[in-house]
Amino acid sequence: MKVSIFTTCMMDLMFPHVGKNMVEVLERLGCTVDVPDDQICCGQPTFNSGYVEASWPVMHNQIDALSAIDCDYIVCPAGSCTAILKEYPELLVDDPNDPTGDYMARAKILSAKTYEFSQFIWRVLGIADCGAELDTVATYHRSCHMTRLLGERETPFWLLENVKGLEMRQLDGIQYCCGFGGTFSVKEHEISELMVTSKVENIEKTGAETLISCDPGCLMNIGGRFNRLGKPMKIMHIAEVLNHNVDESRIKKISEVATPAPAPFP
Amino acid sequence: MGLSTSTLPFKERIAAAAKDKFAHASIAKAQDTQYTKRENARAELGNWQDWRKLGQSIRQHVIQYLPDYLEEFSDNVEKRGGNVFFAQTTDEANDFILNVIKQQQGHHVVKSKSMVTAELDLDKKLQALPDVSILETDLAEFILQEDDWDEPSHIVFPAIHKDRNQVHTIFKKLGYEGDNDPEHMARFARKYMRERFLEADVGITGCNFAIADSGIINLDTNEGNADLADSIPKAQIVVMGMERLVPSMKEAEIMDNMLARSAVGQKLTTYVTFEGQQTPGETDGPENFYVVVLDNNRSKALGTEFQEILQCIRCGACLNVCPVYRQIGGHGYGSLYPGPVGAVLSPILGGYEQFGELPFASSLCAACTETCPVLIPLHNLLIKHREVETDRLNMMHGFTDFQMKVVGKGTSSPFMFKMALRFKHFGLSPWTHQKPVTATNFFEYNNSMITKGPGMVGGWTDVRDLPVPPKHRDDFRVWFKHHKKQGGDAK
Amino acid sequence: MTIQNRDKFLDHLAERLGQPRHQLATHPYQQLNDLPQQTLSDKTPAELLALARKNSEALPVTFYEVAPVELPQLLTDYVTDKGGGPLLLPTTSHFADYQLTDWQKSIAADQTVNYWLPDADRATNLKAAEIANIGISFADFLLAESGTVTVSTNPGQGRALHFLPIHYLSIVPRSRIVARSTQAVAWYEKEQAAGCLDSSAIHFITGPSNSGDIEMQLVTGVHGPLDVTYVVVDD
Repeated sequence: MKVSIFTTCMMDLMFPHVGKNMVEVLERLGCTVDVPDDQICCGQPTFNSGYVEASWPVMHNQIDALSAIDCDYIVCPAGSCTAILKEYPELLVDDPNDPTGDYMARAKILSAKTYEFSQFIWRVLGIADCGAELDTVATYHRSCHMTRLLGERETPFWLLENVKGLEMRQLDGIQYCCGFGGTFSVKEHEISELMVTSKVENIEKTGAETLISCDPGCLMNIGGRFNRLGKPMKIMHIAEVLNHNVDESRIKKISEVATPAPAPFP
Repeated sequence: MGLSTSTLPFKERIAAAAKDKFAHASIAKAQDTQYTKRENARAELGNWQDWRKLGQSIRQHVIQYLPDYLEEFSDNVEKRGGNVFFAQTTDEANDFILNVIKQQQGHHVVKSKSMVTAELDLDKKLQALPDVSILETDLAEFILQEDDWDEPSHIVFPAIHKDRNQVHTIFKKLGYEGDNDPEHMARFARKYMRERFLEADVGITGCNFAIADSGIINLDTNEGNADLADSIPKAQIVVMGMERLVPSMKEAEIMDNMLARSAVGQKLTTYVTFEGQQTPGETDGPENFYVVVLDNNRSKALGTEFQEILQCIRCGACLNVCPVYRQIGGHGYGSLYPGPVGAVLSPILGGYEQFGELPFASSLCAACTETCPVLIPLHNLLIKHREVETDRLNMMHGFTDFQMKVVGKGTSSPFMFKMALRFKHFGLSPWTHQKPVTATNFFEYNNSMITKGPGMVGGWTDVRDLPVPPKHRDDFRVWFKHHKKQGGDAK
Repeated sequence: MTIQNRDKFLDHLAERLGQPRHQLATHPYQQLNDLPQQTLSDKTPAELLALARKNSEALPVTFYEVAPVELPQLLTDYVTDKGGGPLLLPTTSHFADYQLTDWQKSIAADQTVNYWLPDADRATNLKAAEIANIGISFADFLLAESGTVTVSTNPGQGRALHFLPIHYLSIVPRSRIVARSTQAVAWYEKEQAAGCLDSSAIHFITGPSNSGDIEMQLVTGVHGPLDVTYVVVDD
């Protein structure tokens, strides 16, 4: 199975280990991985800030870059960027610079084969247990875009359930945004501060020593706040968790484990 | 004070809201309580997503054929013997209402909750009339009135920012001698307001839905104050936004069910009333029935990408799930219509000059879109507003605008992005203060954290540390090339 | 007076919408799905009664099921329990239908009983409602899903009868328990279309008046009745 990594600008610029862990997990599970060279960004930073005209070239570049390598699937380490890429066919309806509809046509193809990392493992590869082990008490931060725009509410919880030694604690107010919101965190930093403060309080209340999420943006925000407060908190992307202390003999398919319960609201 | 509820600049309102610990705690508690009630009520109904589509289809159809529905409704009001006044502006509406009160020789006006009359700033106009008393009869609005006309902060719970002790203080001024138990205070308000109800000669009500095919209106209250306001006085003035129609009682009933479950998690609001001009032979209810239909810039949304906001049924669910509303409350928005719906609606009604900041006061978490019972894509409409302000009206200036344009260039040019990857580690260093990493693991390759940076980075570092970008040799792309050469993907 | 500023107003809206007025005849609203009709449609009358009781009691409403012969005694006990009159009753043939005419006489011997009178003036009927300790009326329907009674105004039963008394009791025949508001609205629309119902007010009443306006703590009896009782009569 040929998999292209949709790296995201944030992972490229800031968090290389997220990509490394992701590649190692995917290869272990039998994927042939490649990284399309000219890809940069999904376009959210400008698009969501209202710079829509400036965003069409960003999306075009992304479509060109990701289409350049033949692959079965595209896998991304961020729920938010995945969600936007999947929304491209809706967004490009307003694109004035695509007279032939060529970008739209390719956007539809890309959209259909793009998955967020954890949902790819569970829903496409059919893997329930990556064989990982992590001795820690952790809680999970659900990103808004992954939950609501991508509609993925379950796979991270299910995968984490099968990590050996990992004790998961429920996070109060899990439905509330951490205050990242891209340029919102900078432009409206006064409101963002109130939001991330509240998120940090709820995380501390769980007694967890580790915070896990599927979105590097949220982790940079919440982790940056913990760092500002000088408080110790282990911040981990799910790829790092699933690549921790792996014993390949423990890897299990969905059919080999009990069916997990659907995620309750919120 | 009408649509605008504050004269303070936006950032000062946020700072004031951040300091108001009580309001903050009470909103958080309200949101959490409502969460469970609302979600349970919807789950119990079943097929919620299909109900939403049904609600959306009704409201979209009404907006698409709004002139026809308004014509049908007004014809039917007239057939029943009532009157309809179409007001383009708030001034026209106020003049008409004051004139009716004069004609009716009204001295005691009772009002039941109406956001549109607040939009008109009608209370202030009525106060200026000699020999006319005015009473807001919704318990929350009564509290606000008696607190020297404090501004509402929620469209369903207007006094959500006040606690029982504050209410107690307000009621003591009215002669209340009991304790601060909400039940006791509510009984006092009942008695106080009942006396005023009985002498009322004009009732002013809002309108949840106007029924086009029969010329009657639909009012939903839990207290029963709208029912007293439409029973006792001889004259009733209904004030409604022009978009609040439904084809018939059949659709009103559907919307009432969705409204009650979305607003407060009830199956139906306690008093769901369909009423209009008194029928011959009846002895109470309005002998003189007036409906004021207000535009006040709502029509600016018609035929635009913002048309869907007119589908709103004012359930307040988007406020109740909003993490920004949770932090800054209604007063932070500075608009009569706060929260996500307010951030979309206020710039349309009041213009970008005054409310242009509201669409940016959102992290675009989409909780609003997810909860809206009539499927208004609220967070997308916020982006649309940003686009109008940025691309079409060129309202963005200065260094931030420049930086965003650089981001646009940098994220569309592979060459520039690769340059950025190469130089990012050292690029920021001269302008920053740094400290070590305490939140571990995730910042493994960042070595240290920036505590104070320039430009947009400054907005970030005012709140939290920013990881220093890793050295180019540690980049994922560099690692991956090496990894492939090592035969890492041999499988 | 009647209708003012209409054409200019509506023409402006049509212009904004970019389509001519008077399209509705060819584009009527068509209900997207039949959820309102389908919801709870599989319930038997016995199940609807049980549901009505459960949902009413949760409001809270005091809920009785009685045989017709038990009704007079129940009403008398209710009046005693609530501290007696003044009572406010509607002028309606329902008393005769339920064979309550003897009860009317007997209760009037013990208590102050006022009627909402078709030929009285506004002030008189409102006064009777204002002083009433107890209001009693006959409901058109009881909705199982929400524990709601529905009533329509007519010359013998004004609007305020349901709102001004301190205690409120509603009598409804068992055959008039329906699944939800959908069925009640369908009936009202049908009656109105057939010219059988000429009412200016239809009320759907779901338990006692209440408010959560102070710290979201639910309190009852803000403007309307402090407590509500439903009596389902076998028929």
